[in-house]
Amino acid sequence: MSNSEDKHIRHYKGFFLDSMTFGYLILVTIWYTILSAESANEEALLNLKQILAAIVIPIIFGGILTYLLHKNNVTTLGLHIFEPKYIKLQKPPTSWHKTFWGWQLLITFLITFIIGLHVTEFSFYELTDESGFHGAKRIFSALLSPEHAILPKGIISIIETIYIAFMATIVAIPFAFVFSFFSAKNIMGNSPLTLAIYFLLRTLMNITRSIEPLIWAIIFSVWVGIGPFAGMLALLLHSIASLTKQYSEIIESAEDGPIEGILATGANSAQVVWYAIVPQVLLPYIAFTVYRWDINVRMATIIGLVGGGGIGTLLIQYQGQAMWNEVGTLALLIILVVWTMDTFSAYIREALK
Amino acid sequence: MIIQNNPIISVKNLTKEFSSGVCALNNISFNVNKGEFLVVIGLSGSGKSTLMRCLNRLYDPTAGEIYFHNEEISKLKGRAIRVLRQRMAMIFQHFNLISRHTVLSNVLMGCLARTSTIKSIMDFFSNDDKELARSYLKLVGIEDKALERAGQLSGGQQQRVAIARALMQKPEVLLADEPVASLDPATCHVVLDYLEKINRELGLTIICNLHFLSLVRRYATRVIALKSGEIVYEGDPQAINEEWFKKIYGETAREIYVK
Repeated sequence: MSNSEDKHIRHYKGFFLDSMTFGYLILVTIWYTILSAESANEEALLNLKQILAAIVIPIIFGGILTYLLHKNNVTTLGLHIFEPKYIKLQKPPTSWHKTFWGWQLLITFLITFIIGLHVTEFSFYELTDESGFHGAKRIFSALLSPEHAILPKGIISIIETIYIAFMATIVAIPFAFVFSFFSAKNIMGNSPLTLAIYFLLRTLMNITRSIEPLIWAIIFSVWVGIGPFAGMLALLLHSIASLTKQYSEIIESAEDGPIEGILATGANSAQVVWYAIVPQVLLPYIAFTVYRWDINVRMATIIGLVGGGGIGTLLIQYQGQAMWNEVGTLALLIILVVWTMDTFSAYIREALK
Repeated sequence: MIIQNNPIISVKNLTKEFSSGVCALNNISFNVNKGEFLVVIGLSGSGKSTLMRCLNRLYDPTAGEIYFHNEEISKLKGRAIRVLRQRMAMIFQHFNLISRHTVLSNVLMGCLARTSTIKSIMDFFSNDDKELARSYLKLVGIEDKALERAGQLSGGQQQRVAIARALMQKPEVLLADEPVASLDPATCHVVLDYLEKINRELGLTIICNLHFLSLVRRYATRVIALKSGEIVYEGDPQAINEEWFKKIYGETAREIYVK
């Protein structure tokens, strides 16, 4: 890609980002004013056409504002972020409060924070309300007096949970190992064909990863029936996508020297991967995999809540019956296992460094 | 004697411009004769390393032609590039070995180009190749380190492993990109002596980037000086005097001697 072409694309990216931030600011300011002025009239906003207009019009205004600012050579946030490095390095450093982009960032952040307080119905009153406080105290005391009779049942389920996590991790490894090389830019960035595969695989993995395992578990519990198999499949899919991303980032940060060294012998791509890249990435791969298992144990307990088997399924049953002593026992069991896994995986990762 | 009209490498109007807009080589032409120890000098950023990487096609030249045995190589693709690289071995400033593998395994990597993908991934190298690898290790005097991890060796030893790996390719030309720049002065001579030895005894043509003029005068049979991507001097290394030195390295530069 030529230099000027790159500069253009970066300019468009900056324009897009600025239009979005300005549009967003206009949108939320209007929205917030309407809501605080006549809070009963929320239904007026539920008309789809109106909502679309309310989103599109501010963005168009944002775009116009951005255009005017860019025309007057104001360094907006978008231009600053997407400014090519070689131009950025030529400029003397300035303190952020003397720049336009600094204030743009600060104001966007502040307004988002204020709106955020409103949207989350943030309230110190609710948090310190007396009757609410008593309810919390009742549950906490029940949780802290465990019911031992449930322990054998709990232990069997948590073993199931650990195995769900283990199987999901183990089965994910070969898939992620192969995929990671095809989704690393330093390997795939050389020809249009490989680049296309790279983008396809990357997008596919990003989509898979952005769907929470909780939702996968719901899908699979319909597909293969409620139980540990559904939970395992849900975690498996998420693990493949996550490990592929993490593995490929390790490949991308691999040292270029050995790669160049092997390339210069006349080796083909497969040989370069095997001899120059694999030895560099193997230890970090193991560290990330152990960590993934650790994460999967934690996720497997949550997945159980929607029918993914293991201790989560048991927990949600007792919670539904408000049997807080039993819930407390199971919670203690989960804490114990998660803490053990956490420590264990930290030790292994430390040793691999 | 050098046969002037039949060069092993012939570079014609070579230009390399990077996508960042930097023009590293600007319309340079020169010949390399068989059996030469050609040294390329110049400041950092003068285009020495880029030139080398254009020759073995780690970089794609922007314009111009490169002839290797009268065959145009600047537009080769795929397999043909790999065959070229096998015939034109390279060693590097930072050795570029696989530090977790053994010395012997690193040397064997020199024959990847003539080993099938399946065999090389199974780590299956023929006994002849293993024998050859050991003989090259013996040639550079580190046969006893064959089964140690490459990363455990000193810089000078690692560079000798890299030389053995390069020889393993059975090349005709050896490109040496600042082979002694990260070594101490004493080790410099050890490594360069080995390069001189394979130049004279095995008849390999060597193209080598160097920094120190005293080393250039000691080892080079001919020298090319680059400045901002252009050739500013070409000829006898002994003939580089104070005046030429200032022209190549700038008015304020002073020569450092490595004994």
